Amino acid sequence: MLNSIMPPATAPKRRPTSGTVVVERGLRAWTLAVLAFLYLPIAVLVVYSFNASRLNVSWQGFTLDWYRQLAVNAPLKQAAWNSLVVALATTVLSIVIGTGGAWLLHRHRFPASRLIQTLVALPMVMPEILLGISLLVLFATAGVPLGFTTVIIGHVTFSFPFVLVAVQARLRGMDPALEEAALDLGATPWRAFRLVILPYLRPAIAAGGLMAFTLSWDELIVTFFTADAASATLPLRIFGLAKVGLNPMINALSALFVLATVAFVIFSARLRRDAAANPLPP
Amino acid sequence: MTVPAGAPSPGWRAWVLLAPLLAWVGIFVVAPAALLLVYSFCDRDELGRVVFDFSTAAYARVLDPIYLGIFARSLGYATATTVLCLVIGFPVAWWIARTPASARGRWLLLVMVPFWTSFLVRTYAWIMILKQEGLLNAVLHSLAPGTPPLELLYTPTAVMIGLVYAYLPFMILPIYGSAEKLDGSLIEAAHDLGAGPLRVFSSVIIPLTLPGIAAGALLVFVPSIAMFAITDLMGGAKVPLLGNVIQNQFLQARDWPFGSALGVVFMALFALSYWILVRFQDRGEAGKR
Amino acid sequence: MKTKRLLALAAGLLAGLAPAGAAELNLFGWSEYVPQNVIEAFTKETGVKVNFETYASNEELIAKLVAGGGRYDLVQPSDYAAEVMIRQKLLAPLDAAKLGNRRNLLPEFRGRPHDPEDRFTVPYMSGTVGIVINTDKVKTPVRSYRDVFDARFANRIVVLNDNREIVSWALYSLGMPVNKIDAAALAKARPVIAEWVKRVKVFDSDSPKTPLLNGDVDLGIVWSGEAALLWKQDRKFQYVIPAEGAHQFIDVLAIPANAKNKDSAHRFIDFILRPGISKLISAAFPYTNPNAEARKLLSPEELANPASYPKGGKLETFRDIGKAAADIDRLVTDLKSAK
Repeated sequence: MLNSIMPPATAPKRRPTSGTVVVERGLRAWTLAVLAFLYLPIAVLVVYSFNASRLNVSWQGFTLDWYRQLAVNAPLKQAAWNSLVVALATTVLSIVIGTGGAWLLHRHRFPASRLIQTLVALPMVMPEILLGISLLVLFATAGVPLGFTTVIIGHVTFSFPFVLVAVQARLRGMDPALEEAALDLGATPWRAFRLVILPYLRPAIAAGGLMAFTLSWDELIVTFFTADAASATLPLRIFGLAKVGLNPMINALSALFVLATVAFVIFSARLRRDAAANPLPP
Repeated sequence: MTVPAGAPSPGWRAWVLLAPLLAWVGIFVVAPAALLLVYSFCDRDELGRVVFDFSTAAYARVLDPIYLGIFARSLGYATATTVLCLVIGFPVAWWIARTPASARGRWLLLVMVPFWTSFLVRTYAWIMILKQEGLLNAVLHSLAPGTPPLELLYTPTAVMIGLVYAYLPFMILPIYGSAEKLDGSLIEAAHDLGAGPLRVFSSVIIPLTLPGIAAGALLVFVPSIAMFAITDLMGGAKVPLLGNVIQNQFLQARDWPFGSALGVVFMALFALSYWILVRFQDRGEAGKR
Repeated sequence: MKTKRLLALAAGLLAGLAPAGAAELNLFGWSEYVPQNVIEAFTKETGVKVNFETYASNEELIAKLVAGGGRYDLVQPSDYAAEVMIRQKLLAPLDAAKLGNRRNLLPEFRGRPHDPEDRFTVPYMSGTVGIVINTDKVKTPVRSYRDVFDARFANRIVVLNDNREIVSWALYSLGMPVNKIDAAALAKARPVIAEWVKRVKVFDSDSPKTPLLNGDVDLGIVWSGEAALLWKQDRKFQYVIPAEGAHQFIDVLAIPANAKNKDSAHRFIDFILRPGISKLISAAFPYTNPNAEARKLLSPEELANPASYPKGGKLETFRDIGKAAADIDRLVTDLKSAK
């Protein structure tokens, strides 16, 4: 069975065969098609953020009204900010707990490690209303006031298993020789972890972090039971709105977020290209 | 877990490092789960409040064929979602993992960004696309004027579209996370040894990305069993799934013991399956050494 | 980058731990049911800061309160939910002396069964559950529940995703009482519902107007507020109170027993009972306004809305049915799964 090690920098370059080129082109076309699928409703919601109709059903003319209304809507902006703060905090904590946990469980033989592993995966399977209500009863019994702290605790609880599972998967395929080599060269376990293992884990950490952020950003039910007025997140403010018709301001808000991030992606790509093309003089 | 052969028991330092995780799990996972366990053995009074009298009535109801059927249906949807996400998402994860290193992060972001919009807005956008007088039918009509409009919305097909859409990134990201290291020269070496593309795929690529595939399958299958919002919004709420039933018990039916019992049984089944799965993996890895 | 995130986290935590201000009101209500301009007007006049938390259903409100959450000063349950809360002793009695504007309310909204002496609640807005028809598509008269579920409308119907409502409509069509739900009643209702459920295309309690506006369904049984919005959008959507009898609900304001700012809460209630303010609420939500003085300020068009101010019909409020709620849930879940 082929086992993979850190790829040598001097792998001989081979000219791609026509077969592999076809496969590459096919994969790229598939990826772009999938991205088109993912962005289809986004395109629709962006278009409708300019729709001059309160009940977003049919197109009735172009307007920037919703963006104007959004700019002066304090509760919505506050809620968006809260969501951002909570999601970022959740991501950071989930990465720390998830990565650390995955590594420790992988590296050392703890007694009842299988039990720990199963317990750690449990929040993923717990229906949100169960987690929300049980956490609320817990907080209420302990006399902990609801707020950002309780919301973040709830979010981290169901998010960190995603990071842990992603990092674990990467560790499963890792050659133990990696760490052994670093230790043989005189590094302490902590340095070996920081300088060798952590960089190796980066793709899985990035994947897990993105998942954690996304889960936290759009979460409703656990947040409902653990938040107070000051920590209300965007989903909380939005959810009841369907009753009077989802305000296109929400479309505007979502559109802004998407456009900002996509712009950031394109901009940073251009920056890198410029930096590569015009390296700063030493 | 691949613990190096002959590893000594973890020293006190390892325990100290693990302690925060254990504490978190103990307080915020085990304690709430224990609370639910307690509720499931309770009764409820006329006003829907939990009464601490021991009763197994809730568990008796769980075994009712109605709910077993609902559970089976939820499993069916979850399985279909996982399989579709795997088939659709694997090539994407693979391709991103093979793009130049500087670009990969950006591609991942592009995959994720659609989900940083509000779920409700996204789903209503899908309704806009799939409805009878919607985008899809408009495009279809312009391409093939004679055909009758597709009635996709409020059908299981719409639900599947919604589910696959919602869970695709949770398949793509873990597979990417595990496949990223894959050295292109390994594939080329296999080619050089005379393997056709199918053989390369089955003997090299799949085994090496298996941890990622397993992770992706877990992260899609498990959460999607308890999913209900998509079936409500895009399926017309015609078919109750496990998530709906549990939700109802805590809200409209005000039968917390029954809702807790359903949850406990569901989580116990998961814990058991996961335990067995982890055992298999450990044995498999040990056999490799 | 990491430092920035830590700072944001710290800021967030500190914001959450900040001590409460001098005069505050913690309002827990339906999302947007209290319009932003009303809240701002209140704060401007009284200087009381309003912290508005929202929920999307009565059941969520009760669940959160029962689980021990939140320190709210004012909540907005519907009548049957208020009844549950009164019986569970979750509400504080009102101080009549601070609520002078209560005299503006129409007598038919006072002394209702959920709170016969108006000790704990004040009506906010009222509504009904009835039949909405797209008259462009439906040409025959539809006047009763049975008419709605006629075979010719199969797969063109939208109804509320509310198990109790569905059972009540079946009971109404059988001429049975809707507030006395026992095994015998459910057994009688069962075959009726079984047939109806098969003909429904969409169950939706949050926004049943969507499939109607989209043309995916032609008629349905919805909240009057939804029907009113539809009528405002397009007069082709007509609203009818079912002949066999219909559910009338009254959303109320109430003060939880453990509220800290009871005084601010009373001031807010009295504030929204002013006709000028109540008119603003009607403008945002075309439900039935229980305030007689406010109705005098409404436009003729608002008063002409058949869903906001329906004529006639046998209206009835829901009472709490205790454990029967679980039986109802089981019945409808069973019938829905059987499809």
